[in-house]
This record gives sequence, C-alpha cells and structure tokens, in this order.
Amino acid sequence: MDFNYDDNQRMLFDTVDRFLSDKHDLATREKLLKDPAAEAALWREMAELGLMGAAFTEEEGGFAASMVDAMVVMNRLGRHLVTQPYLYTAIIGGRIVAGGMEGGSREAAIANVIAGEAQLALAAGSTHLMHSPQDTSFAATRSGGDWLVSGRMPVVLNGDRATRFIVAARTAGAVGDREGVTLFLVDAGKAGVSRRALRTIDAFGAAELVLENVALSSDNLIGPVDNAVPLVEAALDHGVVAVCNEAIGSMEYLVPATAEYTRTRIQYGAPLAKFQVLQHRMADMYIQTETAKSMALVAAMSLDGDAIERRRMASAAKVQVGRSAKFVGYQAVQLHGGMGVSEELDIGHHYIRLNVINQLFGDTAFHARRFGALTSPLPDQAAA
Amino acid sequence: MDLVLDDKVQALRAEIRAFFAEKLPADYARKTLAGDKLSKEEHIHWHSLLKEKGWHVPLWPKEHGGPGWGPMERFIWEEESGLAGAPRLNHVSQDLLGPVLIEFGTPEQKAELLPRILSSEDWWCQGFSEPQAGSDLANLQMRAVRDGDDYVVTGTKLWTSYAHVSNKIFCLVRTSTDGPKQAGISFLLVDMEQPGVTISPIYTLGHSLSVNEVQIEDVRVPVTNLVGREGGAWDITKFLLGNERLMGAWIGVNMAFARQVRARLNETGPDGRPRSENAVLAQRVAEVETDLLALRYTTYRVLSDELSGKAPGPEVSVIKVRGGEIMQALTELLMEMAEAEGMVHPYHLPEGGPPVVPVELEHMAQQFFDKRKLTIYGGSSEIQRNIIARRVLNV
Repeated sequence: MDFNYDDNQRMLFDTVDRFLSDKHDLATREKLLKDPAAEAALWREMAELGLMGAAFTEEEGGFAASMVDAMVVMNRLGRHLVTQPYLYTAIIGGRIVAGGMEGGSREAAIANVIAGEAQLALAAGSTHLMHSPQDTSFAATRSGGDWLVSGRMPVVLNGDRATRFIVAARTAGAVGDREGVTLFLVDAGKAGVSRRALRTIDAFGAAELVLENVALSSDNLIGPVDNAVPLVEAALDHGVVAVCNEAIGSMEYLVPATAEYTRTRIQYGAPLAKFQVLQHRMADMYIQTETAKSMALVAAMSLDGDAIERRRMASAAKVQVGRSAKFVGYQAVQLHGGMGVSEELDIGHHYIRLNVINQLFGDTAFHARRFGALTSPLPDQAAA
Repeated sequence: MDLVLDDKVQALRAEIRAFFAEKLPADYARKTLAGDKLSKEEHIHWHSLLKEKGWHVPLWPKEHGGPGWGPMERFIWEEESGLAGAPRLNHVSQDLLGPVLIEFGTPEQKAELLPRILSSEDWWCQGFSEPQAGSDLANLQMRAVRDGDDYVVTGTKLWTSYAHVSNKIFCLVRTSTDGPKQAGISFLLVDMEQPGVTISPIYTLGHSLSVNEVQIEDVRVPVTNLVGREGGAWDITKFLLGNERLMGAWIGVNMAFARQVRARLNETGPDGRPRSENAVLAQRVAEVETDLLALRYTTYRVLSDELSGKAPGPEVSVIKVRGGEIMQALTELLMEMAEAEGMVHPYHLPEGGPPVVPVELEHMAQQFFDKRKLTIYGGSSEIQRNIIARRVLNV
C-alpha cells in the first residue's frame, strides 16, 4: 500500500503546477472568458506539455501508467481554478472513445485528443447533470442503412468548443430504459447540428445543442447499438473521480489561504486567527479536506480494477467530497468576510466551482443511494 | 396566549394582498421572485403606484406622509411584500434614513430632505463599513475635520449597497479620536454628486452588482449636514439598525422561496417521475419548511414582546442568523432542483432567439451565490453568536 505519488506522478504534478502558476491566475481566467483564441492557445500548450496523454494508457497511445495520472492533473487544475475542458475532452470523452471505438478510427480519435486538436462533449442524459444516461434528450430513427438523429439538450458541457459531440440517443425503448441507448460521434459542423454557446455559473463553457434530422451512418456509432449505457456510466465514473480530485486541489488551496487571511486581518485589535472559534472552524476545514482526499485517492486507484468496486468507491468519494467541499468552500468564504463574496479574490470562485462539482454527475444524495445499493443490494435495486 | 392575529391586522393583510393582486405589475413580481433586478425607473414606477395608496413609506408616521403603522402592521407589510414579490424600494432612504431624520433631524433637515425621499429625487446609500471596519464597526477611520462652517471629509467606505444608483450617502465619520472609539463618531449627510467622491463598483459572486467602494477625498460638507450632535452617531446607528431588526428574518421573502421550492418538488423531474418520490429531497424540503415555520413564530414572539412593551433583546440575533441560513438553504434547493438548467450564468446566455432555459431559472445559481452574503453582512453570524454568548449566556 502506498498513498504517495510515484516519481513520475510527482513530476507530472510539479510540471502542471509550474505551468499553471506561470500561465493562469485569476486575471488570465477572466480574460480567457472573452477571448476564444487565447483559450484555444492555452489548450494547445496544455497538449504540448503532454497533459492529454496523461489520460490515456500506452496501449491507447498515451503515456499514463494508470488513470491515477489524469487525476494528478485534475488536482492541479482544481488548485488553479482552470476552466479548460480537460475533464470533458481528455477524461470523459477520452474514456468513451477509448472504450467504445475500434481499430483505425479509435486510434485517430485518440491521437486527435492527445494532439490537442479535438474537443469532445458528451450529450447524455437530459436536463440533469448527467447522472442518468438512460434519460435521453435525443432520438435516432433508422433510415435505410443510416440513422436520423434529432433532439435538444439545453446545457451540454463543453458544447461551445466541441469539435465532436458524443450524443446518446434513444434507438429503442422508452426514456429511462437502460436498454435502447446508442452513442453517436457527431461532427459539430455536420448539417442539422446547431448550437448556442453559454457559460455555467462557474465560468465553464457549455452550449445548447439542437440536432435536426442529422444523418449518420454506422461509421458514426460508438460501442454497441442499443447498449451504450454501461460505456457512458464507466466514462462518467471517471468523471466523478476526476471532479473529486479537482475538488481536493481546490480545498487544499482554500484551507491555508483562509488561515493566511485570518492571520493578517485585524479586527477588535487582534488578528482573526486569534479567535478560537475560527481556529476550530479551520481545523474542521482541514479534517474535511483530509478525509475527502483519502477517498478521492482510493477512488482514483480503484478506476482500473473491478467494475463494482470502481462504482462503489466513486460513489463513496463523491459523497465524502461533496459534503467536505460544501463545508470547506462555505467556510472559506465566511472567514474571508466581504472579500470572500467579491469576484476580486479567487476564494469565491473556488466556492462556486465546488458547488457545481457537488452537482455534476450526481449529487451527494444520488451517490449515497448508489453506494448503498452497490454495498447491499435490495431486491428492487439489484438492477441499478 | 393566542395564535390568532386580531381582526384589524387580518383585515390589513387582506387589503395588502388585494392591492398587490391588483396593482403589482406581474413582470416586477416575476423578476423579484426569480432573483432578477429591476431598473431604477421600474422602482420609481412602483413607488408611484404605492404612493397613490399611501403605502410608499411604510415605516413613517402620518404627519410625514406615511401610513402611521405600528410594529405589527409594518411586519405584516414586510411579510406580504416578500411573499408577493414586491420590489424592495429605495429601502435605505425610506426605511433607514427617513426614520432617523424624523427622530433626530433638525426642522430644516426634515423640511428639505423628507420630501425629496418621497418624490424619489434622492436615493441615499449607507456609508458604514470600511476596509478596516467590518465586523468591528467602531474601528472606522473616515475623518471629518471641522473647518469653519464645514467638515472636511476624507476616507473610504466599502460594501456600500446601491451607491452606483444613489446621489447621496449618509456616513459614519470620525470627528474625534479621544475617549472610547464609539464616542468619536458622527452621522453626516454627504452629497455624492461633487468632485472628490469616487464610486467604484465591486462585483460579487455571479457577477452581481449591488455593492461599491466609495472614496471621499477632501470633500467639504456643511456643518448643517450633521444629524444629531457631534459624536452622537452611535445612538442613531442603534436606532437605525433597530428599525430593521426583524427584517433579518426575511420571513416574506423566505416564504416566497419556500413556495417555489415546494412547487418544484411536486413537478416531474428529468427521469419522468415526481421529484417528491426522492425521499432525501422530500425530507430536505420538509426540514427547511419546518425551520422557516420556527423562525416565523420566533419572529412573531419577538413582535408580541415588543407590543407588550418589552424592548427586543438578543433574540434578534437568533432571527438574523436563522433568516440568512434558511434563505441560503432555500435558494440552494431551488438551484439544485433546477439541475443543469439552474447552473447557467445569467450574463453568458445567448442573445436573441428563444431562451435556452426557462426564464425563471436563469438567475437560480446567481441568486444562490448572491445569498452567501447574508451570514456575513450586517454583523456576521459569528458576531451574532458573540452577542448571544455575552448577553444571554453571560460568558
């Protein structure tokens, strides 16, 4: 057993951290929101640094020894509050491409991601934040040997920058059925595809996606027809663990930053840090961060193993991290007082992102239920 | 003991409800309930509608143009306004400064300034907090130095709500550094439309704009703009804060949020089933509803003490802490139940075309993050707990 980074992971951690320390502060982040060219340039630099390759194993064409490497990257992206869609393109998109495609097209699609040329967005689920891929927003009908796909999804994460959408469409059954969902790879420029860009409250990019009778062939299929839910769920489990590790990077920053602020802020003739109630509050923030970190690491190390254990640990981590992140984020803002709610400091931005993370891919309640079902299945939950 | 409000109060409640149903523009109510902001023009329009009814300055006595309501009537007004989604008008001028001028102002100040509030000519903001004086308000540093018939004022006010739409500010200023900190503070009225006054916006979470930094540099203010006596601001401040002591419960607004939460719980979720089938969610909703009920009746208890002549005490801190926490919990539920559609940034939505998400959801996330301030401003929750510890527990 070893919970420490190995040499390669340590080097990856330091490389990403140095790069982002140089390239990405709060002012840069604000600027990127208004400058798509600068966003694209940063993405290319991240690819040149090899970050995309950290999300793929050597067999897949990357250099990751395990999926833990990508989680090391996520930790640093969380620390630096980076809105780049590593989560959507390299991790979730990457898992679907690597897990569902075959042969030359798989190789090309992965190479595309690793080179920083592709942006992927998964359009699965409906108006929720993608915890249930069986709730589809799109439907596909057969037309000769081809498919016609239509539907609308209001908020597709990374939909604004996606060069290719991974669309979960219902090809059989009814909304909510685990069977009957099929994945299609849809080029953003294809006839019948339209999108309108927006941002979520955490400043990440997204888009409304509308497909109107988009004609697709079997070349566009990813994974088995009518049975894509397990593939999407596996990718989303990686997403769950990724945002858990992102949250850890964020919390590991917030705790000392809050302590530092209370050491320098004088009220009633003394630094805030002298008030014992605040000392204990910050000690609790630390306790929450450390326990959450343990679970985020366990879940990361469980990604490549047994599927049930992967899911169980992903859910356990999401519950622990969700609760911890809510507490740590809330208290970091509280102890910063007015400055905490100001956009001038990064503290409040971290708080927002941590709240969004809690919602992404199933919230605490969802994952607590899933953890329970996987730990001790009740008769009616055995299928879940 | 008796739970029933007396007939006169119930009749007033019915009259207020009927008035809102008839006169409150649906668009104003929708925006207010959905966390969107009204323009100054819309506020002034609503003010004019209230004026026709005589309800535009609910806290003021009859002789100055108000309805002459007592504490219970004012509270019912507040509750119904919040519940109906009535915009909170130029609150600083009407609810904070107006009563102060009526109580402490000179005849000249009353004659000049009260009509200007009634006519919406003046919009006042409140200059209390400073960079080094947040929770520790008595530590404020803005100086006012007497020079002939003027004070020369220099300093910085921070977190000043609505300064960007106001033309005047009332400031707590330091006129003396001798003796206890509180005794050297005076209450001064300052015109902001003059050289030496700089207003800079401070954007808060979700890019909301309601607070500002106000810098005042070598601005001459006539001595006649002093309210009360020099060094007498602390008592005025206590009076002013006393006027909004029950407002921290936000009962009406919280009830409006709770109504929205309950409605969403009963809707069908993205999985095609009613959200209320989610036992965890249903329990969270019921618990916060219970919390709100408990807060509401705690507020009524304080009110009933007040009506029987007892001065409100530290239980006001209970109300402030719980009012903020409950609103945070309710807006969090609203955001979370709206799921992906509740996560959009209202200022980064596509322009033109049909709305991407239902308009009532556009501000859900921004609204939740904006409410984060409630347990920080106006005496943080930590300060309120200090008050309870000192004054109730004697520790």
